[in-house]
Amino acid sequence: MDQPAQLLAQPDAVVLDLTANSREAALGGLHAALAGSPGVVDAAAFLHALRERAMLAPVCIAPDVALPHARTDAVSRLVLGVARLTAPGVGFDAEHPAVRLMFMVGTPKPAVEDYLQAVAAITRLLKRDAVRTGLLTATTEAEFRALLARGAKR
Amino acid sequence: MKVTIDPATLLLKRLQRLLRWRLWVQEKVQLTEWQVTLLWAALAGFLGCLTSLIFSALAEGVHEMLTGSSAGVVESMRHLPWWGCLLVPTLGGVAAGLVLLYGQHLTRGQSSTDYMEAIAIGDGRLPVRASLVKSAAALFSIGSGGSIGREGPMVQLSAVVASLLGRWRRFTGPQLRLIVACGASAGIASAYNAPIAGSFFVAEIILGSIAMESLGPLAVSAVVAALTIRVLTSAQVMYHVPAFQLNSAWEMGPYVVLGLVVGSLAPAFLRSLRQAEEFSLSLRLPLVARLALGGLAVGAMAINVPQVCGNGYSVVVQILNGPIAWKVLLGIFACKWLATMASFGSGAPGGVFTPSLFMGASAGYLFGGAVHAVWPAGALDPGAFALVGMGAFLAAASRAPVMAIILLFEMTLSYDIILPLMLCSVIAYYTAKGIQGSGSLYSEALRRKESETTAPMVPVGRVRELMRTDPPILAPAAHFAEIAQRFLSVRVNNLYVCGEGGRFLGAVSLHDIKPYLGELDLAGLVLARDIMHEDFPRIGPGQTLSDALGLFLGQTLERLPVVDPATGELLGSLSKSDLLLALVEKRQRVRPT
Repeated sequence: MDQPAQLLAQPDAVVLDLTANSREAALGGLHAALAGSPGVVDAAAFLHALRERAMLAPVCIAPDVALPHARTDAVSRLVLGVARLTAPGVGFDAEHPAVRLMFMVGTPKPAVEDYLQAVAAITRLLKRDAVRTGLLTATTEAEFRALLARGAKR
Repeated sequence: MKVTIDPATLLLKRLQRLLRWRLWVQEKVQLTEWQVTLLWAALAGFLGCLTSLIFSALAEGVHEMLTGSSAGVVESMRHLPWWGCLLVPTLGGVAAGLVLLYGQHLTRGQSSTDYMEAIAIGDGRLPVRASLVKSAAALFSIGSGGSIGREGPMVQLSAVVASLLGRWRRFTGPQLRLIVACGASAGIASAYNAPIAGSFFVAEIILGSIAMESLGPLAVSAVVAALTIRVLTSAQVMYHVPAFQLNSAWEMGPYVVLGLVVGSLAPAFLRSLRQAEEFSLSLRLPLVARLALGGLAVGAMAINVPQVCGNGYSVVVQILNGPIAWKVLLGIFACKWLATMASFGSGAPGGVFTPSLFMGASAGYLFGGAVHAVWPAGALDPGAFALVGMGAFLAAASRAPVMAIILLFEMTLSYDIILPLMLCSVIAYYTAKGIQGSGSLYSEALRRKESETTAPMVPVGRVRELMRTDPPILAPAAHFAEIAQRFLSVRVNNLYVCGEGGRFLGAVSLHDIKPYLGELDLAGLVLARDIMHEDFPRIGPGQTLSDALGLFLGQTLERLPVVDPATGELLGSLSKSDLLLALVEKRQRVRPT
């Protein structure tokens, strides 16, 4: 398994039932959980990069899935945080008014290949309805992580 | 349950599949810059050959019009009455002079740059009108029997077409010079049906380098020209010669002496041509009168010795297939020398390449005959000495022994003579060099032009001189689908990303995105700025070519972005092939003579 797939199987942070009423709050909530990861060297800069990228163009890959991402020197390696937002979800933009799943990716600037691998792996995983439904209905973090690990292996 | 797919998604999916397939094909059959250069060289070869054929046909037409005969030049002159022999070359000189005189109105403001200057010391731009006028004048001097070769104008026209091709494609300086060299190579290959010699002529004499960066395109161009001429005409081996053989190792002794003799004769021949030119100019006659006088002198000799007319081809064939009485040949040799001095000195446009072959063949035959008379075993066949003498004289006159040896071999396809030919050519080359230093049939005029050139026209070694402007760029917010499409429309491996004011931000690599072309969801998610390499190597316009070479050596890149170090603005790109060509040229220019 390559590094992005390994990371998908074992994310740096998982937050179930994150409550937020705006995109900023949702980003902030997951970022706070991910900031403790050893891969994040400058948490504030990382959040700034995420926000900047989200402002530039939509980061959603499905009506209920967002993939905020940034290539930044604020991380020393590929980092991944996953959050499930409480219903009815958060509006990221006009086309994505109820995002429930959020995958936050940070990659160091030179790691273009890692970035593409990670983003492609996540979009492939979430294309599967069964995985998406499972992630939305998982009752425990262990069950949630197990679903991600199984998905990453396939 | 029936699954319905959004038509827009379906279309995008199909488009992406198509893009992926096309990109795969493009990558598998993607041509490098060198391969593209070879294609242009091939086209230059084809066009150059057509141009040479047209010129040849026109020269024959002029000859027929002036002499009323479609036979060869010597044969036509033989059948003319004495006054016809005087009149035809004189009229040819007058016509050539008038064309040059009135052509000056058309060519006002254009330099008289010839293909050698354009390649060796120029920027590869050949003046079209000036070249056409000169070639039209050459039609009259050649068609009227002037003692001059037609290969000069043929090569010039071929090079002009190549120059136009390069200018139309907006080639950079080194590329343009290379494509003009390809045109010249095609011209020689067409004139002598000798593709290897065509390539080596340009490489050895003009470029002064047989580096593959330049020799490869020259060879392709020459091969295409030779193939074209073989398909369109019945061109075969230029000189059909009887089988020669080295009968004993002792024969090599006379060939060594022949090398010394011919090596001494060639500088004297070149010197006499220059003196004839100086004498003609010192007469201070109008151009038309000067050319008419040159024609009249040739015509006067042609009354008794018609062999002085033309480039000497038919006489060489006669010599090689002998026997020919030595006294007759000595007379022809002396008159031909004088006739070439008269034609060349009067300023008749044309070449002296083929007349040089005649001088070598005659000298070789006379020498072989003399050796045979005193030591028959040392020179069993004087015809073999004529063949070797041709190569040796050419080697000494052009200072290109490799080209001379190859040309002789290609023109006769006689391999038996190769050992004495190589030895004699090399000895003649060194003898001539020892007598006259580095001056050759071509270098003298080039050196003169070079000293007259005030502005340096060739790259002196800064990136800005080789930079190509308007490289394909992307906006940082360009989506993945747009990036893929852009890669399909331009033949590059990296697209430069520029922000506001043209500021260079980085580059997106085709290699990076290739595995993800089938990922439909990435099309709208990933932007150029997400996947660009901010640390992409770049170079400043003021940096040296040596710096650029250093950068290229550490990378697998074909191009480098040229970025203004003060503003960060992308100014253009530097191609590795342009750089290597420029470095080859530069090395040649700093070579001690």
